[in-house]
Amino acid sequence: RYVRQLQRLQLLFSPTAADARGARQFVEEAALDFARRHPDVVLYISPCSGPAPLLLAEYLNGTVREELIASKTSEEITQLATKLAGQSGLDIIRIRKPFHTDNPSVQGQWHPFTNKPSVLTVQGPRLQPQ
Amino acid sequence: MVLLSAPRWLRSRLTDRFWRVQEVLKYARHFRGRKNRCYTLAIRSVRRAFVKSTKARREKKRFLRALWITRIEAASLEHGLKYPAFISNLLKSQVELNRKMIADLAIYEPKTFKSLAALAQRRRQEGFLAALGDGKEPEGIFSRIVHHY
Repeated sequence: RYVRQLQRLQLLFSPTAADARGARQFVEEAALDFARRHPDVVLYISPCSGPAPLLLAEYLNGTVREELIASKTSEEITQLATKLAGQSGLDIIRIRKPFHTDNPSVQGQWHPFTNKPSVLTVQGPRLQPQ
Repeated sequence: MVLLSAPRWLRSRLTDRFWRVQEVLKYARHFRGRKNRCYTLAIRSVRRAFVKSTKARREKKRFLRALWITRIEAASLEHGLKYPAFISNLLKSQVELNRKMIADLAIYEPKTFKSLAALAQRRRQEGFLAALGDGKEPEGIFSRIVHHY
């Protein structure tokens, strides 16, 4: 079953600033639709007199991503919010390898004595290591 | 905004200089000497570093393939086979594993690699018999080709 990695979205904007106009329009028109379409994401809307309107996204693995929404239209903010809702909280850096295993070796990893006769390592009552 | 004369456009000052410089210096932090601190020296080194990294992506493929071949050669010599014999006989027995997988098997799955080396050795012997025996003995078992189409 699909578990959405986005935990909560906090929309911080100021009720009077000019660059928060898109954020205010988003809150009035599109926020409810967004919340209905993504029922497992908690949407917090807090008007505050901060410096710039922010969209804070918190993920299940603890990463917090801040996106500036100053001077953006309501549609752009919805697109951004849907993009964040589809992401997981992993860092956005170059992936070195497209595969990973915790147990790479099933038969035992090679060491210099794997293909040598066991006379070299066995210590018994009669056999001595050479 | 059209600012047509000097006293009008000199009113705007560059306030972002610190961040524009930091954007370049952050890629130079692990360099040696003054080029990790001084902007003029750093842009030159950073540009060369980026160019070298784009060109090296083609070399990386060649380098890794050579590394895999070295590892497979070492592992097959442990089992008494040379690399050209090993690879050619594996291909003739229709085992289409690439060098990366064979190298990983040789490191992490030594018994599987031993069985692959034994297969290549058996196919080699059958090849010799087919070439030298001249048609009187039956064909070898591992020399049979399976058509998947």
